[in-house]
Amino acid sequence: MRAALMIAALLLPLSPCLAQVAVTPEPAAPTEGVQSDISTREISIQSNFTGIEILIFGSVDYSTTPEPEKAVHDVIMVVRGPSQPMVVRRKERVAGLWVNGEERVFPTVPGFYTVLSSRPFRAIASAETLKELGVGFTNINLGLDAAGDPIEQTFRSSLIRLKQRAGLFQEHDDGVTFIGRSLFRGTVALPVNVPVGLYVVDVYLFRDGELLSRNQSTLKVNKVGFERLVYLLAFRYPFLYGLIAVLIAVAGGLVAWAVFRRE
Amino acid sequence: MFQIYLPVAEISVNLLVMLGLGATVGFLSGMFGVGGGFLLTPLLMFSGVPPAIAVATGANQIVATSVSGALAQWRRGNIDIKMGWVLIAGGVVGALAGTLLLKVLREAGQAGLIISLTYVLFLGVIGALMLVESLRAMRRARAGKPVRARRAAQHNWVHGLPFKMRFPDSRLYISAIPPLVIGAVVGLLAAFLGVGGGFIMVPAMIYLLRMPTNIVIGTSMFQIIFVTAVVTMLHATLNQTLDVVLAALLVLGGVIGGQFGVRAGQKLKGEQLRALLALMVLAVAIRLLFDLVLRPADMFSIAPIAAGA
Repeated sequence: MRAALMIAALLLPLSPCLAQVAVTPEPAAPTEGVQSDISTREISIQSNFTGIEILIFGSVDYSTTPEPEKAVHDVIMVVRGPSQPMVVRRKERVAGLWVNGEERVFPTVPGFYTVLSSRPFRAIASAETLKELGVGFTNINLGLDAAGDPIEQTFRSSLIRLKQRAGLFQEHDDGVTFIGRSLFRGTVALPVNVPVGLYVVDVYLFRDGELLSRNQSTLKVNKVGFERLVYLLAFRYPFLYGLIAVLIAVAGGLVAWAVFRRE
Repeated sequence: MFQIYLPVAEISVNLLVMLGLGATVGFLSGMFGVGGGFLLTPLLMFSGVPPAIAVATGANQIVATSVSGALAQWRRGNIDIKMGWVLIAGGVVGALAGTLLLKVLREAGQAGLIISLTYVLFLGVIGALMLVESLRAMRRARAGKPVRARRAAQHNWVHGLPFKMRFPDSRLYISAIPPLVIGAVVGLLAAFLGVGGGFIMVPAMIYLLRMPTNIVIGTSMFQIIFVTAVVTMLHATLNQTLDVVLAALLVLGGVIGGQFGVRAGQKLKGEQLRALLALMVLAVAIRLLFDLVLRPADMFSIAPIAAGA
């Protein structure tokens, strides 16, 4: 009786696997698919953080590429950081002074946005497909449709230009390289000012302008240690944070007086 | 090398540059016997710190300077504590108004402009007045005439106001309204410009309140400790523009620089010191004005919007 129970207990965890194997049909012809991952799943920002380079890699399942020199596949990678509302302001001359004048609010600006592709991405897929997937600066969804308004277009392109200058928006044609028939890789440089939060990496596999397969992975960017403590205090416990700053200053003043007094 | 990331300002700065900045301002404030906030805040703005953060962090630095200054004055019995509390009461109200004003302007995207303009106005006028006064004193000293002190009138309009209070240390029996108003103006300036406000308070106490000159400096420092501490707290809680890492660097640099400044100041003559300070104040004002008048390199700027706004 006891022996029978033990055998049943041992078999129990195996039973779902057995069932699955039985149900899944054998694929008729192998379809091309894409698998990908990131070199790191979590990035910790400390006070010595000066930016980091991450590697996005993947492979094409059942690659139909006959030999490495005659690649038939194209890969586009899109990295998106957490989005937040941003305001864009234009300076105007008022009474001889340059002041912030007209402004536009873009509700969903990704804190980080990078496109990597195995060749210029506009040559990989149709404009409609790229727009649908949000590939390229012109196709980023900023939450404000500026298509009809030339002034809003100017604000939009200025926002993208400023983000690009800060290294937070990047486009790299030829940023993805194939190694052999199915393996590929691309590197992304995250600058010192990357926002914290969850990053989503989308990898798209194309052949002859057709989207064959896609894969998604995520990356967490966190502040840790001292940085995290300061950040938490400043935004969650601002009263305590202010008090600490005042105490540091008072202590500094007391030390200066005690050490250097001439009496 | 030595780059340090400021968690709230969200910029990367050089550790040595910020320590040096604190030390330079500390040196100057020790040499001239001034708070130094009116130099520190613009210098922080010049080095790329956002204006609102420069103001809050500058105010915090002045807490340190005024604590060591006030302690030295207190040991010599040069503080009118009662007058100090009245000035502080006014200062807290002014600080609240200044913090809220900065919050509104920041959301409208005009904080940098208004802070710069106010600085240009204040520094321009004060620098010019100081320069003229010190040049006149130098010429008079060269001519061999004694430097005459202006004689204070016995009574002015201030003595006609109600709510009279007795201030035994200042040997005054005056209305509480003028010190409250002076305190409020200083609090407003502290919150809005990140300065201690001694350059307004000291002349006002001498010429308006007719306080004895020996206790004016100590009493103003006593007020500045509490008002700049309140300003720091208000900016930290209402605007979240205080960067404690930057503040700590500036305090450290300032403490060291201040001591050398005091020694250097004792070797120079009063009029020369004032002329030098006046020239520096004017230089900062001109630089700020240039930034406002010259065509900016980029016509567009971007800023995140806080979730609540």
